[in-house]
Amino acid sequence: MAHDTEVLVLGGGSTGCGIARDLAMRGLEVTLVERGNLTDGTTGRMHGLLHSGGRYAVSDQASAIECIEENKILRDIAGHCVEMTGGLFVQRPEDPDEYFQEKLEGCRECNIPARVLSGREARTVEPYLAKDVKRAIQVPDGAIDPFRLCVANAIDAERHGARIETHAEVVDLLRNGDDIYGVEVRHDSGPGKRTHKTPGTTEEITADYVVNATGAWAGQIGAMADLDIEVRPSKGVMTIMNVRQVDTVVNRCRPKGDADIVVPHETTAILGTTDEEVEDPDDYPEEGWEVDMMIDTLSELVPILEEARTIRSFWGVRPLYEPPGRGTKDPTDITRDFFLLDHEDRDGVDGMSSIVGGKFTTYRAMAEQISDHVCEQLGVSASCTTAEESLPGSENLEVLEKGMDDFGLRSPVARRSKQRLGSRSPEVLDTDEANPVICQCEGVTRAEVCDAISQSGSDLNAVRIRTRASMGNCQGGFCCQNMASELHPEYDEETTREALDELFQERWKGERHALWGEQLSQAMLNYALHATTMNRDNDPASAAEPVEYGAFDTGVQ
Amino acid sequence: MSDAEQPTDDHVPGDDEFEPIQVFPEAEEMDLRPGADNCYKCSTCDTNCPVAEVDDEFPGPKFQGPEQWRLKRQDDHDIDDSVMKCSNCMRCDSACPSEVPLSQMHNTARAEYVEENMSKFSREYWRNRMLSNYRQLAPLAATFPRTANFVMGLSVTKWMGEKVLGIAGDRDFPEFAKTTFREWWAKRGGNATSRERAQEARAERGAEVQNEDKRIAYFHGCYSNYNTTEVGKALVRVFEHFGYEVMIPEQACSGTPMFANGMLDDARRAAETNVRELSAAIEDGADIIASCTSCSMSLRQEYPELFDFDGTEDVAENTWEAVEYLRVHEDLEGELEGTQVDDTNFAYHAPCHSRNQGLDGQTMEVMSAIDGVEAEDVGDSCSGISGTYGWKEENYETSMKIGEEMFDHMEDAEATTGLTECPTCSMQMEHGTGYEIQHTLQVLEAALVGTELEEA
Repeated sequence: MAHDTEVLVLGGGSTGCGIARDLAMRGLEVTLVERGNLTDGTTGRMHGLLHSGGRYAVSDQASAIECIEENKILRDIAGHCVEMTGGLFVQRPEDPDEYFQEKLEGCRECNIPARVLSGREARTVEPYLAKDVKRAIQVPDGAIDPFRLCVANAIDAERHGARIETHAEVVDLLRNGDDIYGVEVRHDSGPGKRTHKTPGTTEEITADYVVNATGAWAGQIGAMADLDIEVRPSKGVMTIMNVRQVDTVVNRCRPKGDADIVVPHETTAILGTTDEEVEDPDDYPEEGWEVDMMIDTLSELVPILEEARTIRSFWGVRPLYEPPGRGTKDPTDITRDFFLLDHEDRDGVDGMSSIVGGKFTTYRAMAEQISDHVCEQLGVSASCTTAEESLPGSENLEVLEKGMDDFGLRSPVARRSKQRLGSRSPEVLDTDEANPVICQCEGVTRAEVCDAISQSGSDLNAVRIRTRASMGNCQGGFCCQNMASELHPEYDEETTREALDELFQERWKGERHALWGEQLSQAMLNYALHATTMNRDNDPASAAEPVEYGAFDTGVQ
Repeated sequence: MSDAEQPTDDHVPGDDEFEPIQVFPEAEEMDLRPGADNCYKCSTCDTNCPVAEVDDEFPGPKFQGPEQWRLKRQDDHDIDDSVMKCSNCMRCDSACPSEVPLSQMHNTARAEYVEENMSKFSREYWRNRMLSNYRQLAPLAATFPRTANFVMGLSVTKWMGEKVLGIAGDRDFPEFAKTTFREWWAKRGGNATSRERAQEARAERGAEVQNEDKRIAYFHGCYSNYNTTEVGKALVRVFEHFGYEVMIPEQACSGTPMFANGMLDDARRAAETNVRELSAAIEDGADIIASCTSCSMSLRQEYPELFDFDGTEDVAENTWEAVEYLRVHEDLEGELEGTQVDDTNFAYHAPCHSRNQGLDGQTMEVMSAIDGVEAEDVGDSCSGISGTYGWKEENYETSMKIGEEMFDHMEDAEATTGLTECPTCSMQMEHGTGYEIQHTLQVLEAALVGTELEEA
């Protein structure tokens, strides 16, 4: 029986998109389905660290070596998603010297370039470090934008013929005896680009081979075909600061502990994190004390954080896995390594493998190994080229850097736009249309917003992850409605309104964990703007019943 | 554990003594991003910005300040050129409900723009450098005031100024005094004479003749020294009238025009001299008094925001504007009761920088104490000149547009004389309306001392 596609990838996170790109570039026919937007699972809920490997240099040297290798590759192929900030492992007076020593030696053993800085030198690099920091190890950590990276992988997969379906939730695995041959998905608004208010449909997609890359959700997918996959989802909180207090990744140099990293990310800094096992990756408590604890602990390293403004907090779940029989109690001790579970070997059910564990920095290497496995299963001989071929947006970046074109934008806006768009800048920003700034906090212009809409339909959260519009200090208070306006007239009023509500609610979800100080003022101002000025708390236009205009008087006395 | 046991330590000497890193590094390197935390984007600053009101191309203080800073990374130096369109009126500072350090952000961004993005060979750079260092050129003109005034008044000079330097040709250069204030002061006998006169005044007022506390150091600034010396003289006589001994310390320009032009190195040099000299005066028991509201603003706000010399905070805390000082320390209004002046109808404009110090109402109150004086406040708009801003050819039109509201109100006022505390506002008022302009201190002098007491 001919199947709809050769390979069906479940999950639109970094792993899934990486696999889709890899296989599509090898000439295979690929379909990827994702429940929500790309990155909606764990990928979009990480702190954006491009590991040098330094973090694993003591505990897990195999991962450390893999990290530094992939770190170099990503700088090359994904330059527009990466900012090489450098990183510091900072030792406070109370942190053990022995561990500092082990860390340094570990880095050297793993070929991670590492230099020791005195406390004073470290503070020259990062003036807001605590005055009493003792020493630091400087390593090539970086910052990476998981959204852009994932989207770029998906775009490139599509260029190589792949079909990418977002908002397509897997509702069943199709299993015939010992053979898995596809899935049934529920399209939120029919196949293709998402359009709000369009009725949903279901579709059976059959494939020669299914790759379950749903991470923390892999167990749920497995259960649909009575397969037992023991993922141990573990939650971690991250808090986004309004500005970058540091321009370098700052790690605490001590054996282990929560709240030990600050990553400069775009215009913000992200504080991380905690590690606590949860039952259900879709339903776990988000608690205020986790945020407080993290700010308090990290203030020992960067005291200004104590008083600084946070704009939101979010939680992510790690897709941790450990092979049966190890019985590790503390989730921080579970390996960060990834596992390829071939269900034929494991459960006697063929046609599907699951990937669990792993980390973002090495997504490409993981995808390569899994793609090799898939090719072997399908008897295809084609080799991987993802380490050499640049992602869309990162082609010929040096040419762009030399170009002085500001596309008529004010210099900080032009700078930020070009950093986001990379080599796609001229294609997007060179426009004859008026190109005002839509999101002032992040410097996003109409051209960039429209470019994102052309990729993702009426979904403004998809526009957000592509552009960063609404991700700044006002958390969309000033720009959500302007982003929504750009949907019109291609999308009608009702669709636009629905898309706006969805985006604004998503913004509120994270902002409600930051309601003190200036962000509380911001939330109040946002409320005043939206509820009163725009009448959005009780707008008759949103009501199901048409407005009875006849009930109003004429206004003439 | 000793250092010897730490083979990885690089043995930086003194590493354990925590010499704090410089609190205020050079302004071009100052990291003001945390200041953006205070902004919740209400845009009140934008609606109070006089430049944004008349110039649609100007993005306004919110962009110039917190937005631009937030978008910046440590190594980014490409400040948007629109920062040069900011007139440094500093109204945004007082407009902000959330204490965003707007003018500090603008000053440092402007310095960085000039340092990194403006060619040191450009006409604009040299024109701005000249305008902001007017203090360096003035002594030459003051040595040959007649020649200077004649040459500056020539239409060919103005034409050259505009064509070669980009200085607005429609403006009249201020006249240079034939004798500078400091020359007058020295000829008058300096501090010794002032002490005598203060003592005489105390005796006459029935106060204690010996009083170490009644001592002020006058920061006259450049304009009172080289141009409107009558303001400086008025200050001396009014303060002596109240029994204050006046000292005139060595001083450089306050730095205001340099901040406004992003010439922070020049400003730093000037500030260093001023802080040193004024600190010494404070040691001697004097309070610092300025007659120009931009000078007092600079000493009080910009110095501590931008520099960290020894004594900077001390100078800021002990600096006063002249009328403010008298209202706090003396019964100025009581003293004015029953006094009279010849000129009685004034049109008063409160300079932005007096507004920022909370002093915009004082002149009106003081004037109403003098018998027969009718002063009319011509509104809270900006005069539009903002120091050197309106002198630039490219800003002239904007400057005059901003000033329009004030000009109209002055025309409508039942007044014969304009009144303000700021030298460049007075130039603008005169330029836009033809009024003769006085400083509040001159009216106080006329009321309390009379003008004919000593040789001018």
